[in-house]
Amino acid sequence: MKKSYILIAIALIATLLLGACGTSTEAPVEEPVATLRIWADEQRAPVLSELGAQFQAEYNVAVVVENISGIRDQFLVAAPAGEGPDIIVLAHDQLPALTESGLIAELDLGAKAAEFDPESLKAFSYEGKLFGMPYARENLGFFYNADLVEEVPTTWQGVYDLSKTLIEAGDIQYGIVLAGTSYDAYPWMTSQGGYIFGVDENGDYNPTDVGVGSEGMIAFGEMALKWKNDGILSDNLDNTTAKSMFLNGDVAFFMNGPWEINNLKASGLNFGIAKFPDGGYPFLGVQGFAVNSMSENVQLAQTFLTEFVATEEAMLALYEADPRGSAYLPAAAMIDDPYLKGIAEAGENAVPMPAIPAMGKVWGDWGNALTFIFDGSKTPAEAYTFAQEAIVAAIGLDTTGMINLPGSWQKAAGFDCEWNPACADTVMTLGDDGLYTATFTIPAGDYEVKVAHDGGWDTNYGVDGVAGGDNILFTVAADGEVTFVYDPETHILDIQLP
Amino acid sequence: MDANPTPLKGEFVKKTILGAGNLLTYLIVLVVDIALGFFAFKLFSLGYTPLGICFVLIIIMISVAFLIPKAHMFKWMAIGLSAWLLFSIFPIVYTIYNAFTNYGDGHLISQTQAIGQIQAQTYLPETGKAYQWIAYRSPENEYLLWLKDADGNTTLVTQVDLEGDAEIPLVSGENGIGELDEEGAPVTIEGYTRLNRILAATDKNLTNIKFGDPENTIQVRSPSEAAELLPLYAYDPETNTFTHATTGTQYFDQEGTYTAKNGERLIPGYTALVGTKNFVQFVNSPGLRGPLVTIVIWNFLFATFSLLLTFSVGLLISIIYGDPKFKGKKILRSLLLIPYTIPSLITILIWRGMFNPDLGVINRILESVFNISPRWFTQPWLARIALLVVNTWLGYPYWMLVTSGALQSIPGDIYEAAEIDGASGWQRFRSITLPLLLVSVGPLMISSFIFNFNNFNLIYAFINGGPPIPTATTQAGYTDIIISYVYNLAFASGRGVQYGYASAISLILFLLIAVMSLLQFRFTNMWEEVGENV
Repeated sequence: MKKSYILIAIALIATLLLGACGTSTEAPVEEPVATLRIWADEQRAPVLSELGAQFQAEYNVAVVVENISGIRDQFLVAAPAGEGPDIIVLAHDQLPALTESGLIAELDLGAKAAEFDPESLKAFSYEGKLFGMPYARENLGFFYNADLVEEVPTTWQGVYDLSKTLIEAGDIQYGIVLAGTSYDAYPWMTSQGGYIFGVDENGDYNPTDVGVGSEGMIAFGEMALKWKNDGILSDNLDNTTAKSMFLNGDVAFFMNGPWEINNLKASGLNFGIAKFPDGGYPFLGVQGFAVNSMSENVQLAQTFLTEFVATEEAMLALYEADPRGSAYLPAAAMIDDPYLKGIAEAGENAVPMPAIPAMGKVWGDWGNALTFIFDGSKTPAEAYTFAQEAIVAAIGLDTTGMINLPGSWQKAAGFDCEWNPACADTVMTLGDDGLYTATFTIPAGDYEVKVAHDGGWDTNYGVDGVAGGDNILFTVAADGEVTFVYDPETHILDIQLP
Repeated sequence: MDANPTPLKGEFVKKTILGAGNLLTYLIVLVVDIALGFFAFKLFSLGYTPLGICFVLIIIMISVAFLIPKAHMFKWMAIGLSAWLLFSIFPIVYTIYNAFTNYGDGHLISQTQAIGQIQAQTYLPETGKAYQWIAYRSPENEYLLWLKDADGNTTLVTQVDLEGDAEIPLVSGENGIGELDEEGAPVTIEGYTRLNRILAATDKNLTNIKFGDPENTIQVRSPSEAAELLPLYAYDPETNTFTHATTGTQYFDQEGTYTAKNGERLIPGYTALVGTKNFVQFVNSPGLRGPLVTIVIWNFLFATFSLLLTFSVGLLISIIYGDPKFKGKKILRSLLLIPYTIPSLITILIWRGMFNPDLGVINRILESVFNISPRWFTQPWLARIALLVVNTWLGYPYWMLVTSGALQSIPGDIYEAAEIDGASGWQRFRSITLPLLLVSVGPLMISSFIFNFNNFNLIYAFINGGPPIPTATTQAGYTDIIISYVYNLAFASGRGVQYGYASAISLILFLLIAVMSLLQFRFTNMWEEVGENV
């Protein structure tokens, strides 16, 4: 009995060992010189697999395409561990966070750069350097029911009038329906002058210039409220419902993206896509490829993209798989789809969706504002002003690097804070000499102050630059301007009294 | 190791092996240890030291328990403990560790990786030149690089680390150089293969090799460009600082980013310990001062009403179907279990569709019968009611199952005695059924309460916390419970990935739930006492 056990055990171990040897010695005759791994989504994966097969046949480089959902979330765990793919498919607004984390390699398109849509390239750049190769661009368009609308109005007033006529004739329930309260309504907001972030002199979004509470936004709110009360605009703000209302012919207009085209076509609805009234423009979203900086094949991956994917044939195949406007100009010129042309026209002045971290703090409050206007809990001015304040406060939350002067003087100087190390009004600014300065008008009196880093009390300095030391006392003899100068090396605060 | 084992020790070893049962056990333990050891080794070499230590502990535990006779009683416990170590203790310790780091967007890689990346950043000095290039490789992996600058001048340069001239004259027929193509590049060079783009790209050495004049080396930067590149930042391992090559700015290691005195940061950052920063951030976040009171109150209401409604509906049904006179109860009872068998997410989405104010079946009926059309998703109390209706639907089959079992365990003679004493139906229910039932299902009620207290799925999938609270300074909704609110606060709507911050929040939530579990034990004891008294 025991012997048989031993035999079985030996046999098992032998198979294991042989198996292990077998895999290491039995190599295929023609081993690929390298292997490229690509993570793509459902629609891109089949196209890339086909391209990969050609690439392998031509250059003997194996291309493995893996169909992954939630690419970004998996990538930022896999890449630092050295398990990530060489190339990923991603949207442009995911790029900055990945780039700041050091996970994306700089990309050089060489002479091919001229063959790409400049807006799309800009969307894939970070601090002036290119980090990805775009392949598709998408934006909202102004969808209309072509059975009801013969000529698309170019002004909102025109939309209002036409809707009213159609409603009175009993053709439709409402003139227009919104598929959402933020992104989906943005073209209407921009037509009234609303915006989310202003741009600085380099054309980059400036997170300190928030436009959610701007006059244009409030004008939109008032307009939407009036339209709702007049029964022209449906009070529904849900995406699925909006789609079915448009599909059923209950509304004449709605704003949506190229991803809806196939569904609408399949339903047999006679529809068209036009420019937004009154010069409204949507957000631009760009899809592209990026190379993993931790990959061993950075050069090869770049070459695969620039030589093999940046071709008319491949770009058209990507388009066929999922019809969106191509970011590759030669392919874009070949696309002759009336709907996509409509989308492209509607997106002529589109602005890239802000890809700065502050954008994450905008969505919720921005979108809620319209909900409040519709349920009557706030007036348009209240709603957007409130949202503006909440967003500014949330963005300001990131106080790393802030040098502040919390103290008893803050209140006295007329600011809405006291001993507050994150008070936005009393932040010091850094000069070229490496010293932080700030000047305030302070009334006469005795005050206390400290220097606080990062908007909190974790790091603070008192008398003689001692960490966590005593409060610094100062007396202002007569009302006047007090200048504070702080040396971040010695941590000493110099107070220049009037 | 003792060089001269005493006979006694030898005896012990012999006894141990024999005592380990048969050889098979020994072999299996050996195989398992080798397999686990392999994993541990892999983990150590990949840098996952804590997980590796976990595996080593498991190896020791299993080996000791199976091979030392005295420890045999711990044999099966060792396996359980291994799983416990791996799947409970390790994740908890790891979460605690993460809560004190800045692991998240911008700080995903290790310090070594970040230093490597910063060191690899190069710049083109003002006098530097950029070129188009073609590489030639010899079978000994020596390289020549053909370059063409912007003005069209071509050169052929050699590796810096190899002896010989830095430059080879580009003359066809000399030095083994074959014909020149239209660009001016040699089509062939004797002893070398001209690399096409793909071959050059698959060559892993090429980008690391310096070419040309040792004073002014040229490196391949991208498939289309080679240039006289210099490292942009110099790293000093002793002070752990970077210095900018041209401006001389120094960057210091500061909580996961190399930062200059003026606050300028080097990209990328890396994962570093940041102390209690995450906890401080959470405690200081305006979210905690905002609508938290509303949310906590609703959280308790939601959990309480969910429990009461599911329990009473479930109990009612099981009492009705517990009546022996009831015909066809088996089929009906099976049908009533259906909500329990469908994945809850699907049920939630179906209900979401039915409650749709414009298209949903509920409003269509209400509109045609009563001519009302409630806005289920925008009116706070309507949304809360809709949520409770859905949760009752999802939860009653559980209580139906539990209570019908528990009801049968109540001895029938008690009811008989009560009937003889003249107790009414309600009195019997009130004084016999309910107290005896609560003895057995009491603990389950508390676990159900805690489940609903954290019922993220339902809130998120059905209504995502909405409708929003107009006065809230942070984004919060009337149906938000603590966990969905915290989720929105920390992660939702493109806020990026903050593993460290999230770990800190989950630790705080863990403490909250731990307190509730303690209370549960208290209550359970109380019920047991009630049970003893009955």
